[in-house]
Amino acid sequence: MPRYAMAIDLSLCVGCAACAVACKMENEVPPGVHRLWIRERELGVFPDLTVEFRPEQCLHCANPPCVPVCPTGASYQTKDGLVLVDPGKCIACGACVAACPYDARYLHPGGYVDKCTFCAHRLEKGGVPACVETCPTGCRAFGDLDDPESPVAKALKEAGRVDVLRPELGTQPKLFYLNAPSKKGLSQEREVRHD
Amino acid sequence: MTEFYGLPNAGEFWHWTNALHFVLVGLAGGVALLAAYLHLKRHEEARRYTLWALALIALDLFVLWAESPARFRFTHIWLFLSFHPQSPIGWGAWGLALSFLTGGLLFLGKGPQRALAWAFLLFSLVALAYPGMALAVNLNRPLWNALLAGLFPLTALVLALALAALLGSPWAREPLRLFAGASLLLTALYPLTLAPEARGHLLEEGGFPFLLFLLLGLGAFQERLGPWMGLLSAAGLRALLVLVGQWQGFGL
Repeated sequence: MPRYAMAIDLSLCVGCAACAVACKMENEVPPGVHRLWIRERELGVFPDLTVEFRPEQCLHCANPPCVPVCPTGASYQTKDGLVLVDPGKCIACGACVAACPYDARYLHPGGYVDKCTFCAHRLEKGGVPACVETCPTGCRAFGDLDDPESPVAKALKEAGRVDVLRPELGTQPKLFYLNAPSKKGLSQEREVRHD
Repeated sequence: MTEFYGLPNAGEFWHWTNALHFVLVGLAGGVALLAAYLHLKRHEEARRYTLWALALIALDLFVLWAESPARFRFTHIWLFLSFHPQSPIGWGAWGLALSFLTGGLLFLGKGPQRALAWAFLLFSLVALAYPGMALAVNLNRPLWNALLAGLFPLTALVLALALAALLGSPWAREPLRLFAGASLLLTALYPLTLAPEARGHLLEEGGFPFLLFLLLGLGAFQERLGPWMGLLSAAGLRALLVLVGQWQGFGL
């Protein structure tokens, strides 16, 4: 069984949102909600300025807090590590939305909770997610963490620095950010809030 | 400065309708607990309160279904075709349904009444406990800390006892003061249990209503308007915490 993961090299990402648009089209994501979005944050003070372009989406956590809270089993984790929603069982109670620390889940107008699937429908056919395919800077790598020859395993091995979002919550994300531009790692909102 | 292309799905996911349910389920669970206790005490008002509990549980379950965007997909059947012991809402679904069943049998006088009363008590405790847990289980939400697992059952009892006092049951007055006191104490301590940025968010987003409901709660000790004050304070506080707690903090 593969253990699917994604890596995004932030030293290459320019925040063009091609991935976000590709996702929107591929998955017919309705207006007003997003499976994938870009967070752009300016850090530091001249002349020590940094800008971080950070695509965000479901991290398909190895320990996903959104799965155990689901009362119907609609929110589940596959054997290859995808976190998915079965709309046929979802009562749209929002427990998973509440539990997700990453705002990755939304209520689909069809009356169920929806989110990034790592393009499971493409993986089934041996493809890669639409966001990975379309990325013009090649900053995204996808594959099986357990296969040392997979693009994601290689990218992780070669990275100068690897970070995940909100690691303190113990969710063990499988979306890794490589080579974060700031020396402090991934930026946080509290860093850029001024009173 | 932070900007986005697209947006994180950070909007409100539990709206005023869900906040209403959090109030109703407090009443439903609390009144069911009172009814079960009255049955065990062989109190003359046991049947009356069982009927109230049944009505409130039914009303709450109806509101839950009616406000659910999945209502006409009829997926709620899966709540009862599966068992997910890690899900507070799963516990709530079973707790409320079994409370209704045992309460109904008690009301109709069918089956082993003593055993049913104990089961009713147990299931009503589940119904009482789950809303606070449904919030507190989300460790990513700084305002929904573990204190809510205590505050919600307490405010639910305040709601139920206030209703009982309004229905003219003299035995409700004294415990109402007791539980109102306990819940107010926890409410007053609650901001102190939060990290500074979470406390700031609470005060910024809901400081005025929070203070208002706290002050109203003090009115629960008053003789004439006490039950009304207790009811308003507990209901307001529950709704407020549901609404302002939908916040991730500044960690992203």
